[in-house]
Amino acid sequence: MERLESSEQFKALQKRIIADRDPQIPMVVIPAGTCGQASGANDLIRIAKREILAHELVTKIQLRVTGCHGFCQAEPSVLIEPEGTFYPRLGIKQMTQIVEAVSEGRVVEQLLWRDPKTHKRVQREADIPFFRNQRRTILARNEKVDPIRIYDYIEHGGYAALVKVLEQGNRRWVVEETKASGLRGRGGAGFPTGLKWELLAKARDGGGKFLVSNADEGDPGAYMDRSVLEGNPQSIIEGMLIGAYGTGATAGIIYVRTEYPLAIKHLVIALQQARALGLLGENILGTGFSFDIQIVKGAGAFVCGEETALIRSVEGERGEPRQRPPYPVEQGIYGKPTAINNVETWANIPVIISQGAAEFARIGSPHNTGTKIFSLVGKVKNTGLVEVPMGATIGEIVHGVGGGPAGRAEIKAVQTGGPSGGCLPAAMFDLPIDYESLSAAGSIMGSGGMIVMDENTCMVDVAKYFMKFLKDESCGKCFTCRKGTQRMWEILDDITAGKGTLEQLDLLEELAQVVKDTSMCGLGQTAANPILSTLRYFRDEYVTHIERKFCPATVCRDLFAYRVIAEKCTGCTLCIRVCPTGAITGTKKEVHNLDQSKCIKCRACFEVCNFDAIAGDAIIAVPPGRTSMERNP
Amino acid sequence: MSSEDVSRIVEEHAGKPGGLIGILQEIQARYGYLPPDALGAVAEGIGRSLTDVYGVATFFRSFSLKPRGKHLCSVCLGTACHVRGGAVIAEEFGRALNVAPGETTGDRDFTLETVNCLGACALGPIVVVDGHYFSNVSPVRVKEILEKARNGLDNVEVTTDQRIFPVEVSCPRCNHSLMDPARLVDGQPSISVTVVFAGEHFRLHLSCLYGSYNVESEREIPRDALADFFCPHCHAHLTGGSNCLECGAPMVPMIVRGGGIVQICSRRGCRGHLLDLSGGMQ
Repeated sequence: MERLESSEQFKALQKRIIADRDPQIPMVVIPAGTCGQASGANDLIRIAKREILAHELVTKIQLRVTGCHGFCQAEPSVLIEPEGTFYPRLGIKQMTQIVEAVSEGRVVEQLLWRDPKTHKRVQREADIPFFRNQRRTILARNEKVDPIRIYDYIEHGGYAALVKVLEQGNRRWVVEETKASGLRGRGGAGFPTGLKWELLAKARDGGGKFLVSNADEGDPGAYMDRSVLEGNPQSIIEGMLIGAYGTGATAGIIYVRTEYPLAIKHLVIALQQARALGLLGENILGTGFSFDIQIVKGAGAFVCGEETALIRSVEGERGEPRQRPPYPVEQGIYGKPTAINNVETWANIPVIISQGAAEFARIGSPHNTGTKIFSLVGKVKNTGLVEVPMGATIGEIVHGVGGGPAGRAEIKAVQTGGPSGGCLPAAMFDLPIDYESLSAAGSIMGSGGMIVMDENTCMVDVAKYFMKFLKDESCGKCFTCRKGTQRMWEILDDITAGKGTLEQLDLLEELAQVVKDTSMCGLGQTAANPILSTLRYFRDEYVTHIERKFCPATVCRDLFAYRVIAEKCTGCTLCIRVCPTGAITGTKKEVHNLDQSKCIKCRACFEVCNFDAIAGDAIIAVPPGRTSMERNP
Repeated sequence: MSSEDVSRIVEEHAGKPGGLIGILQEIQARYGYLPPDALGAVAEGIGRSLTDVYGVATFFRSFSLKPRGKHLCSVCLGTACHVRGGAVIAEEFGRALNVAPGETTGDRDFTLETVNCLGACALGPIVVVDGHYFSNVSPVRVKEILEKARNGLDNVEVTTDQRIFPVEVSCPRCNHSLMDPARLVDGQPSISVTVVFAGEHFRLHLSCLYGSYNVESEREIPRDALADFFCPHCHAHLTGGSNCLECGAPMVPMIVRGGGIVQICSRRGCRGHLLDLSGGMQ
């Protein structure tokens, strides 16, 4: 790799890379992000290579290993360019068939994706509803580049935005353009990115300014940042370079969580390659502009996603937040002005610069421009990463892209915003997804996690789950957060154990308000959201737990026991096979027997039964005067 | 852990962002945990109190003050995994190993831990054992996963595994074949190269099976040491490849018969490799 000394040399290189590639030669694209690899993508890569070598197809088939394309449910999958043929859920054998078919210009009909509604096979990725109903600006680029090859990125327009900025040579324009785009922070709070940059650009410049990419994606259930880091790390680097040029920042840091080993690996390689090409480091493209980026690995603390805690952690200290103001743009890392933006925000910057702020702002709604990536997970048919214009409704995502419920149970809620967010009921699925609407509904945008919950999800348990998470992750600095989350968790634990009282619900609401009002950072201020939103929309579930001592979703294990419904059981033995303790016995075609003394209530049988023949009954006797289940022992 | 090791690590991190955390991460990467002596040595090395160092070491979840087992088993408890039964999976692992999360089995075979989110949410419940991801885990699969880990998840049966296939290579300079039919490794003709290590020249025979890491060497090369590779025919230094994706060491490029380039890491024991069939730029 030769160092580029000018933008002319860069353009010449880009031309050569494009000329070097024959777009007519079929390309086998194998997504191998963490999800892909977890599903077996590495095996497909091996087999593809084996077949290409064995049949001497090196000049007839190209192979591209990429990051995640978003349709995780269908992994391991393969995409064939230029037609865009999509093959989901492949095994080693099918991969062999596909390589052979591609070499002969055929399509393997029986391996194509099948629409569960029409039962028809669909050939092209773009025609599959999951992809068709999205607007994939950021994610689509993951398909085009091998993350460990900077030339792939350049071939598909990478670094053109940086070159545009450097040629223009107008720092103010970069900030103005970002402001005009209306881009708001994708990390959750929605602060206008351009405004933050303007503040950084104006901050006093004594001894340097920092730019940080916050890749400490701590919200459980959200993984869009991982996907962008793994699949297109150069786009983050390019975004930061543009930001540095506009704001006069002198050093960059990517703060990435240690739970993302593949993202870290790809980032390290991407930084090396960008430096080798002269796109990063001293005197970039001979313009005199210098900027370098270092990786700092997080050490597993959720609170470090909060910017002042992140700063402490970068400084090598315990990640405890501090009071704001002073804001990081005034006093950040080592006391120097610092702007911290989320990974997805950075990935949007080259797009804004390339297509222009006006074009970018046409997507979405007036104060919520551009697209947003959501991780659509939980009890939904098509799980994966979904990119839609801001302002799309929850229903469009869950049903239009997600394909509706995963099983037979109805979808009842969506949780957005991670532990700081809330649960929104199905009745509100017409709600447009933008910062303000979600906040008004008692949730938040957050980083984009969207966990779908169905009738078999217990909302009290969900609230308890988040409270356990928050009590464990509270840094302990503010007393009310440290103790308040602990007490709220204890109350929820009581309720899920059948020991709750209706008075405790009032106490919960009171505690929630106090923790919100008296905590210093976002973790504590929003800690009550999961409780408040579930109390607001699913209060009846709390009441059922308290009054009837029963968990209708059969999640809270002290409040139900499983039995086989004899009239529904067909004797298929499926539950027998998944039971880890041998609690279910029986022979084929005869009603099975469930031994409650052996049952650990792991739900495996309940989840797997196709005939709803496993049911949960209440087990705690309710005092006289209260409603009770007939089947109490 | 020797105090020289600590002072070297401390020195390497001087002035770098992340400071103390980076130091502790490196120590843990090497020893699997943070030994008490090491914390003392770090405190001395960076001129801060042991309390400070201990405070940082206990603040972050990824640090362990106790030695960990041979196998690390992480059960994801992210929201998406939770609603699909992640907690039950964690319990089932606890039952099978007879430890609570955060603990190590008596025989030091397994450490069980729960993690907040591994970011593979679409495939939950997720379990990672020794870097291998298991998706959609159900309780009944737990014992099978542990058994696989005991047998070594990286072990492959080179003679029967379909993912293993032979690759014939030649020297990138003289294009002479590097295959040695007289010397078999894994029952296949080996790849024969000259190696220079510690001033000595000797032959090294590598398995030609892609996916096998078997090597026969005339002399011992200590683990983690870097060696220089040469063509036994034209004596060209086999260099100019990329840096290893795993460890950063220089890679050894060789031409693949049929097209493309294969590169292997020059560090003894590192499994980094790259089979690039594109043959295009880069």
